[in-house]
Amino acid sequence: MADRIEDRFAVETELLGLKLLPGQEANLRAAYAALREAIALVGADYPFEAEPAHVFVPAACIERRR
Amino acid sequence: MTASDPCFLSVAEAASLIAAKRLSPVELVQAYLARIERLNDTLHAYVRLLPDEALAAARSAEAEIAAGRHRGPLHGIPIGLKDIYDTAGVATEGGSRLCLGRVPAADATTTRLLKQAGAILLGKLTTWEFAIGGTAFDTPFPPARNPWDPERDPAGSSSGSGAAVAAGLCAMAMGSDTGGSIRWPAAWCGLAGLKPTYGRVSRAGIMPLSFSLDHAGPLTWTVEDAAIVLQAIAGHDPHDPASADRPVPDYRAALVSSDLRGVRLGIARSMFERDCPSSGAMGTAFETAVEVLRGLGAAVAEIELPPLALYNATASLITRSEGFAIHEKTLRERPQDYGALARDRLTIGAYVRASNMVQAMRRRLMLVEATDAAMAGFDAILLPTCPDPAPVLGELGPYFDNRRPMYMRPFNLTGQPALSLCNGFDDTGLPLSLQIVGRHFDEATVLHIGHAYERATPWRERRPPL
Repeated sequence: MADRIEDRFAVETELLGLKLLPGQEANLRAAYAALREAIALVGADYPFEAEPAHVFVPAACIERRR
Repeated sequence: MTASDPCFLSVAEAASLIAAKRLSPVELVQAYLARIERLNDTLHAYVRLLPDEALAAARSAEAEIAAGRHRGPLHGIPIGLKDIYDTAGVATEGGSRLCLGRVPAADATTTRLLKQAGAILLGKLTTWEFAIGGTAFDTPFPPARNPWDPERDPAGSSSGSGAAVAAGLCAMAMGSDTGGSIRWPAAWCGLAGLKPTYGRVSRAGIMPLSFSLDHAGPLTWTVEDAAIVLQAIAGHDPHDPASADRPVPDYRAALVSSDLRGVRLGIARSMFERDCPSSGAMGTAFETAVEVLRGLGAAVAEIELPPLALYNATASLITRSEGFAIHEKTLRERPQDYGALARDRLTIGAYVRASNMVQAMRRRLMLVEATDAAMAGFDAILLPTCPDPAPVLGELGPYFDNRRPMYMRPFNLTGQPALSLCNGFDDTGLPLSLQIVGRHFDEATVLHIGHAYERATPWRERRPPL
């Protein structure tokens, strides 16, 4: 995978098969940089047993884990 | 406020006059239609008017009420719906060129419930494209404008809903809230905006943006009006897989007292002082509001929540991923038919990998639990709704939330009920805001606090200078 964020964006865009309209690339590249920051902030270092939210029962989800 | 100014009556006031047969639903609809005729070219709140249907419904309501068949406080009340709420036989276009001419065969569950309660639909209201597009100038629908200053942004995505209620172009309007889109226009337009608990109000028949973060709810002039509307639309709906099968309490019963003794409020100061400092006027108004609430008997202390950026990053990954999944086919086949803002904000979701989404949902549960733990000993969280009052229309830009994060998304992520209400005005006359966040399914406490605050302050005496 490319190191520079611009290169990484270009590689992923191609892999995803996205056909960008004229002028769209610059906007999306800026959004892509913000997205990478969000992904880093959310992180990926979770215990094996860390459950995702079961969003269709928000309150029960808490009660079950008490 | 008297029956001589029918467009400025609250829902509760109009309902009382209609029930006493001192206000005619037909005359009320006529008054709103005349005001819409005068102001909509300036405010662009409505995308579609239904004058003949509204007048027919008003005549029917008047006849029913005269015959002693009064259905309740929404009977004969003129309303508007954000144009992502399906309306049988009436175009619902989501603010997008992609949906021009789309006419649903059935009403959204909320549309149906409001009609059953006797509400009269005046028309469909401007929305950001697919509830995400931002204040755009390249879609078939001009952006709504803020009634307090038409050069300013009313916020979105329920932009027409906020503009219409503030300007007296309907008695109440429905909006949707994925990252703040009910509370934000309520804040910038000086209204009450209620995002109920996730699962409390059906989302069936409302165009989705992000399945696990979308909420439906009302924008109203008063908190009492929000309680009236919530009463009509809350409850289990088998057509919405996220709908909760929980008892629905009497929300207006919670409003009988302004006594807040025994109520414990937690100020989430870190969010609006450290994470994204609010403007001076917003901060000053907030501190004044805290003193008012103390004066009503509430116990107030600080509450420490996780960082705002962590909530917002988590919600952002989920919204982008779910939004792209919904729009992938049309984004690939007809990208030119989206406005640029909606196209970019949806397309970026393609870059969220499956594992990123799962990690976000794991983080989400941690944040739900952390918020719940922080609320131990508190009945509600108190903070501003957003850091600033309304900017000039078009100033927001595509990634405004990265520059000045709002204080609303955390509670889409946790699914808690959250109410925005007017908290006075800045030096230029623009509304300031206060947000009250409750425990899951405890809208009654949120409404109680909001109503007590509203009654103790003069903010409902001022209307936009139109």
